[in-house]
Amino acid sequence: MHNVWLIAKREYTERVKTKGFIIATVLIPVLMSVLVLGGGFLASKTKSNSHIAVVTSDAVFGADLKQKLESDKENTMKVDVATPSEETRKRLDGELLDKTSTLSGYLWVTPAAKAGERPKFSYKARSAGDISTQLALQSSIKSVLILERLTAKGMSVAEIDALNAPVDIDTSASGNTMAALASAYVMFLLMYMAIALYGMNTARSIIEEKTSRVFEVLLATIKPDELLAGKILGVGAVGLTQVGIWMFAAALLSTSGLAASLIGSGHSLISGLQIAYFLLYFVFGFLLYSSIAAALGAMTNSEQELQQLNMFLMMPLFFCMLMLLPIIRAPNSMLSQITSLIPFCSPLLMNVRASLTEVPAWQIGLSFVLMSLTIVVILWISSRIYRVGILMYGKKPNLPEILRWLKYS
Amino acid sequence: MAIVELNKIRKVYDTKVAVEGLSLTIEPGTMFGLLGPNGSGKTSSIRMMIGMTVPDSGTVSLFGKPFERTSLHRVGYLPEERGQYKKMRVVDQLVFLGQLHGLTEATARARALVWCERMEISEAVEKKTEELSKGMQQKIQFIAALLHEPELIIMDEPFSGLDPVNATLLMDTLVELRGEGKAILFSTHRMDQVEKLCDAIALISRGKLLLSGSMREIKSEYPRNRLQVVFTGDESFLGHAEVAEAKNYSGIAEIKLHREVGAQAVLAEAIGRGTVINRFEVIEPTLEEIFIERVRASFGDEEARGIVDA
Repeated sequence: MHNVWLIAKREYTERVKTKGFIIATVLIPVLMSVLVLGGGFLASKTKSNSHIAVVTSDAVFGADLKQKLESDKENTMKVDVATPSEETRKRLDGELLDKTSTLSGYLWVTPAAKAGERPKFSYKARSAGDISTQLALQSSIKSVLILERLTAKGMSVAEIDALNAPVDIDTSASGNTMAALASAYVMFLLMYMAIALYGMNTARSIIEEKTSRVFEVLLATIKPDELLAGKILGVGAVGLTQVGIWMFAAALLSTSGLAASLIGSGHSLISGLQIAYFLLYFVFGFLLYSSIAAALGAMTNSEQELQQLNMFLMMPLFFCMLMLLPIIRAPNSMLSQITSLIPFCSPLLMNVRASLTEVPAWQIGLSFVLMSLTIVVILWISSRIYRVGILMYGKKPNLPEILRWLKYS
Repeated sequence: MAIVELNKIRKVYDTKVAVEGLSLTIEPGTMFGLLGPNGSGKTSSIRMMIGMTVPDSGTVSLFGKPFERTSLHRVGYLPEERGQYKKMRVVDQLVFLGQLHGLTEATARARALVWCERMEISEAVEKKTEELSKGMQQKIQFIAALLHEPELIIMDEPFSGLDPVNATLLMDTLVELRGEGKAILFSTHRMDQVEKLCDAIALISRGKLLLSGSMREIKSEYPRNRLQVVFTGDESFLGHAEVAEAKNYSGIAEIKLHREVGAQAVLAEAIGRGTVINRFEVIEPTLEEIFIERVRASFGDEEARGIVDA
């Protein structure tokens, strides 16, 4: 045990000292919070302020729409109203092609053939990707049409405004849906990165000792199993430190009220229970993936060779990525329940489910039991491959050779 | 009590026989040379000696007991491939390896500094390994193998890649350690080093033991029937009855005798005839010659030529 401790301690102290560790530890939470908070902030504050032209023969409709688009609380566009003619169309088309013009598109209104029907609208834009302007147009046109129709039926403007007021649903009891989704996404991404990164670090660390032949010296005093155990514990402890710091930062961020004021939700983004789950699932996920990585590291001779075998590590993670959307949509569906219990997916998916919904305790418990069993089996295989593999140089072993290694005692 | 005792160990990797029925014994206070051409099974044998691999058959005993891992704290090992953590500071590296061998951190640190002084690399202590020259790295590795004051020191090709000054420093240190009663085993394919340093040797080729024993025993098995004489004056003594064959390169004669004991008679004959003898030497067979002859006898000319090349 003393040897395992020594190996783990060296691995830990050497890794924590590196610039890469310090940079990742500080930068990732900063980046994540910029993404989440900045994204939320931008989404809540972005207004369309494009310059468009409305071509209509109905002067009242034109004025109403102009007023709606220019001075509404969501929009601050600049709107020109024009009357339809071939000349107007030519002029506007010309302006769209002219690089110095600020016009970003024009709306052509074709009056309805029969009274009581809606006119036809066609919008020609400078760039097809300008979604915010299109959305603003859509909703504005709709409210103007309703306004006109209702006014025609004799309703007052005040009555219409009251009708049009947006509906607020109070979700503070269960948490803001958007905030929960955002934090689920962030947690998933962090977990994905942390597991992939630290799994690979285990393999790299083994290859480093293999290429530098350090372990020849090490094996003269300690057993390969001790070396492997120390390595996984050491790298894992580094990962846990980093993830712990991230979670601490997340907790700080969400309780500080900063997040709430920016996104506009009164509910904290991440709860203590979520943090605890995250750390626990990271530990198990790391153990699982790093034991696979250890075997891969022992089989190969260089980083390049490792890259080729990388997919064994990344494929389960990609699968989890694919399953993320279905699970976010329906965290309690049968599909979600089953995939989140697969040991390779639990660290990522069960964690996401737990942050989105109330997962029954037995499922959480079962996920840990299944992961533990898988870890034991994989470690058993890996330690055998490791024991033989680290002393083998030269060509990469093929499958029959690896199977033979398993039989060596 | 023998420090190392190998009894008919055998190791097969897949289809290749690495070591075949190797037996040898190393006594305390001896310098033991394990000789053989490249790929002859030296490293495989050493790995079995320190439990890195397990022999397929045969037994390994260390310090008079069947192999057990706790014995390894009394063994210092310098592998052929020099391996160090590149990014680690020298002193941290030495302390870490010392601790793995059962030293406390304080003892390991103190001894590391003393040894760095002794090996003349004190200025490197605070540096990272990757910043050092190859020779310096090798010295650090050497220190790492000795830090825990092992009773058995095993060095795989310790002198390869060292400049003459450092090789001498290393050899002198090994000789001192032998003086302190430690057993030292080193493998090499350079026979000249072995002749100077070793008390006992084992010659292996293709995983098989060809020859082993003390240096004196081995040499005494081979006839000392050659003379080199540097002289001026009369050369007629070369015709003496004991001389089987003689070549005279104007004043330096190489003579082959019928019998070892004939040397004195030839010397007396030369002096009797008034020849001035500047040097008179009975030439021992060199280890290289013995080795080549042994390999040729076992495996034929082809293999023997390979040794000379190596």
